[in-house]
Amino acid sequence: MSFLADMQISLIVLCSGLGLILIGLWGILTQRNIIRMIVGFSLLDTGIHMVMVSIGYVTGGTAPIINDAVPMAEATSRIVDPVPSALVLTAIVIGLGVTAVMLSYAVRIYRARKTLMIDECTESKW
Amino acid sequence: MVDKLVTEVLLHPLGIYVLALAAGFLVPLFDRAHRGSAILVFLAALAGMVAIAAINLLAILNGAAPIEIETAGIAPPFSINLRFGLYEGGFVLAVNGIALLGALHWLPSLRQHASALLLYLIMVMGINGMVMTRDLFNLFIFIEITSIATYALIGMERTGSVLAAGFKYIVATSVASAFFLLGTIFLYYLTGTLNIDGMVAQRELISGPVGFIATLFILTSLLIELKPYPANGWGLDVYETAPGGIAALISVGVSAGVFFALFKTLPLLDDYLLSIAVVGGATFLVSNLIGLKQDNAKRLLGYSSIGQMGLLTLALAATAQLDVEAQLPLIVGGLFINHLLAKAGLFWLADLVNRKSIGDWSVLAGRPLLLLVFGILLAALVGLPPFPGFWAKWLLVMEMASGGLYGWIAVILLGSLLEAAYLFRWFTQALQARKTDAPDSISPGKLAPVALTTLLLFAAGYGMAVQLETDTLAMFLPLFAGAALWLLDSLPGRLKSLLMLVMVAAGGAWLTLDLEGLNRIFGYILVGGGVLVSLATQYRGDARKGFYPLLAILLLSLATLLRAHTSLAFFFSWELMTLSSYLLITLGRNGVKPSLTYLLFSLAAAYCILAGFALAYAATGSIELAALGGAGDTTGLVFSLLAAGFVIKTGALGMHIWVPGAYGEADDDFSALLSAVVSKAAIFGLLLVAAQLGVRSDIGLDPAYVLGWIGMLTATFGALMAVFQEDVKRLLAYSSMGQLGYIVTGIALMSHLGWVAALYMTVNHFLFKGILFLAIAGVIVRTNERLMYKMGGLIKNMPFTFVATMIAIIAMSGVPPLTGFGGKWLLFNAIMEKGWYWLAALAFFSSAVAFLYMFRLLQTVFLGQRKLEHAQLREAPVILLVPQFVLIGIIMVFSAYPKLLLDPLSTAISPWLGGNLVWDGLALQTHLGYWNAPMIMGVVAGVWMVPLIFLLLMTLTLKIQKVEQFNIVFAAERPHRPEETHFAYNFFAHYDRALGFLVKPRATAFWNSTVEWSHSLAASLRIFYNGNGQTYALHIVIYLVALYVVNGGLQL
Repeated sequence: MSFLADMQISLIVLCSGLGLILIGLWGILTQRNIIRMIVGFSLLDTGIHMVMVSIGYVTGGTAPIINDAVPMAEATSRIVDPVPSALVLTAIVIGLGVTAVMLSYAVRIYRARKTLMIDECTESKW
Repeated sequence: MVDKLVTEVLLHPLGIYVLALAAGFLVPLFDRAHRGSAILVFLAALAGMVAIAAINLLAILNGAAPIEIETAGIAPPFSINLRFGLYEGGFVLAVNGIALLGALHWLPSLRQHASALLLYLIMVMGINGMVMTRDLFNLFIFIEITSIATYALIGMERTGSVLAAGFKYIVATSVASAFFLLGTIFLYYLTGTLNIDGMVAQRELISGPVGFIATLFILTSLLIELKPYPANGWGLDVYETAPGGIAALISVGVSAGVFFALFKTLPLLDDYLLSIAVVGGATFLVSNLIGLKQDNAKRLLGYSSIGQMGLLTLALAATAQLDVEAQLPLIVGGLFINHLLAKAGLFWLADLVNRKSIGDWSVLAGRPLLLLVFGILLAALVGLPPFPGFWAKWLLVMEMASGGLYGWIAVILLGSLLEAAYLFRWFTQALQARKTDAPDSISPGKLAPVALTTLLLFAAGYGMAVQLETDTLAMFLPLFAGAALWLLDSLPGRLKSLLMLVMVAAGGAWLTLDLEGLNRIFGYILVGGGVLVSLATQYRGDARKGFYPLLAILLLSLATLLRAHTSLAFFFSWELMTLSSYLLITLGRNGVKPSLTYLLFSLAAAYCILAGFALAYAATGSIELAALGGAGDTTGLVFSLLAAGFVIKTGALGMHIWVPGAYGEADDDFSALLSAVVSKAAIFGLLLVAAQLGVRSDIGLDPAYVLGWIGMLTATFGALMAVFQEDVKRLLAYSSMGQLGYIVTGIALMSHLGWVAALYMTVNHFLFKGILFLAIAGVIVRTNERLMYKMGGLIKNMPFTFVATMIAIIAMSGVPPLTGFGGKWLLFNAIMEKGWYWLAALAFFSSAVAFLYMFRLLQTVFLGQRKLEHAQLREAPVILLVPQFVLIGIIMVFSAYPKLLLDPLSTAISPWLGGNLVWDGLALQTHLGYWNAPMIMGVVAGVWMVPLIFLLLMTLTLKIQKVEQFNIVFAAERPHRPEETHFAYNFFAHYDRALGFLVKPRATAFWNSTVEWSHSLAASLRIFYNGNGQTYALHIVIYLVALYVVNGGLQL
């Protein structure tokens, strides 16, 4: 029973991550307000981060510290892979940067055009 | 010790990042003190980045091992590693170099914000990272660093449209990066490493559904970042609105980074090679098609950028597919450096010119330096010689042919033709001055970065030529001569003309005097004849900016054409000839518009030739012209493609619509060269092909029969169309088309006699058409008219011109005693010998038609009533008459002693088509009869002498009444009436009623509707670009789904 519950943790994270990705994409594609699109992007980003974390998780694993508790020989099967977590940290920082730039665009677009609707920004075409 | 410090620390490739980051911190610091010092730090950092890349690349080129960079002193996969090898070095040097030039160009805007300097450095560093890193996640980081810096730089411009475009760009690239991150993490899940080499080493682990999804995400992301059709509207919007400085860096810099990322991950994506090729090829073709409808200069550059990245992608997939790693640096590297330099230069130029619509680029008209720079950049982009794109495209097409990828060759050539169409249409706009233009002044300092890109293009092109082991010095000689004359372009016109003549005579002699056989004969016509006819350029004393350099290039490229041993050298000279003759036509009075038609038909012809050479290479594995014959089963196809290319260039029926415009609107002396000399290059090509292919292999007869008909129909319809012209130069143009048709038929006969006839007519056409065009140049310079009904009676003012014209016309017609008779006699004999009787009948008919227009020319220009305003005209300038009378002298000699001409021709042909001419004394024998030229000459002289002496006696003895001009007893016209009633107007109205239906402009209508259809197709293909950022994001998602489906995702 505990085996099932353990397995579900990473699966739940993975599935909800994928769900968030889809919701984020849906937001980007359907919400015409630029701020809402940015929210959609944030959801997409968070979803990806959740997928990343879920991938490195080893069921019932422990912190990736090799000491008396976790001998070298058992390391690969017993510890959680630390690399995805490290990657997520970096990805979060980058997502933050992109979101910040997007928001500053929203501000400037509003100042320049007095609108935040993406479908009113279509003068460059064909 | 110091050495070691310098090479291993200061000049280490990691120094690039150190410099960028250090300068990033220093710039704001120095900016507090003084903006100028901050800029100095900024530029020094960029220069340092260039220097480090250059020094390390040089070391690698000299044999040093690629530099593997391990961070934190730990080997991968436990650390991130970077690599600086040959490919990385090349890309990094190119990107940093262009970034430095771009910084110089963009400095006036960049310097307004210290943060812009910082962002620029970060962006360039990010691209360096994208190229050098070997770690997939690190690649993602560098993509994002570059992207964020790009977003911010776009956002520095605070106008609404730029911000809107920028936001669309952010949304699209963010979604693409999200895909990349997902793909990366899935690959890590499968392989347990982030190191690309590690993943490649465990390629077998990347399989199953997860492997498929992972690689698909990576592939989609990278392709999207390269802006594939139709998911690229967001890129186009930025190219259109952003300042040229940033647009250039996105187009050539960021794209370079992404392209390199695709290159290095390609071993993981090898299941998708076909998808990659299709995406690249479709993008190249469609963007260039849509470009036809675009009027906004920067958006046009956007379409071109996207197309070129498509071409690079296609080239990458093709070289991977064909497994020709050795050619990769030249093909992909050549295309890359070509696009990098040309496109960056064009974006910067667009900044300087500062005109949105391509129509407004007319501000460039009359500004030689700007036009030169603009033209070079466009020519490079189209892939014309001598630029790197030419060599790369050549190699790519050859490799594709030997790999059997014929469909892709068609895509590349068609796309290149479309690209040429819109780029040179733009150039056409720039050449036509408009009254409303108020040009901004562009200081030389501002132009320097752009000008530098053109020089680098030349250098890179020369480097590639050396690399390909061509006869580089000789092939580039025309360009060196042109460059030298261009530097002297401020000298007086006549002096330049003289210098040009000396250069061409000396250079031409050096290039062609060691030739033998057919090549030597054409050497006399193309180089000797070219110099002789060019003597006439002395009649104009004006400066003629650009004319003499281009003429030198043209004439010397004809010489190098004759020297060519390989199809590469031949094609190089051919394209150089095309380009220089096109530019010369643009210099004519109204030459700009017809020149575009000329260029497009010439390029279409050139691409047919290229395709033919490629097929031959595929069959024989050799680019030697002498090896063409070994093409085996494909001989017929190779022959057809090559012959098609050459006959388009002779103005064959259906492809002739460029002829009247080009010959008619070029400068008058240049028309003479074009018709008498340059057109013979196509005849040379056709003979060469026929000799190598049609004869050596015995199956070439069917295409030859078709060719014979094409030639004769061209002769007939050319003559018919000439009959109904009012404009004397258009009459001569159609006449040239028709006369070349006879020559084509002669070649198609594939017999000794047929070829003798063809060569004889080639020489003859050179002689009489040179005279006619120069004579007409003399008439035009005096009367300032080209419409024949506005002239008349000029025999009194210009007797020498009249005599020259008359002799030329007799030499052209098939009547004894001059050279024309021999040509027709030989041709009829050869046709009858072959048994092509219908062709003989048609030849007879068209000769009769030709007589009509010749008569009209002589009658309406020189005879009849003189116009009152022409009473005081003088004879044509002596320097125009000199070449004409030299040509007449040659005609007379060859008319009396045709053996002098025929024997060398026959000898030159005999290696290809055996047989010889049978002489009985001075009479040439065939099984149909004999031709004794000296005797005919004597008889004709005798027949004419008797009535001449009789008339002379009459004038001396009888009382003759002199008829004054308005004594209508004599005149066949009624003076003092509107011009339309002039007898010379619509001279052949009666024939028009009978035969006019034959010459309705059907070909023109056909080509016009082709243009219209292409434009409609382009309009319907660009409906995706509705300007809405969400639609663009949707395109990207659909792209992912489409790639998923076509690569078999539904079967999982």
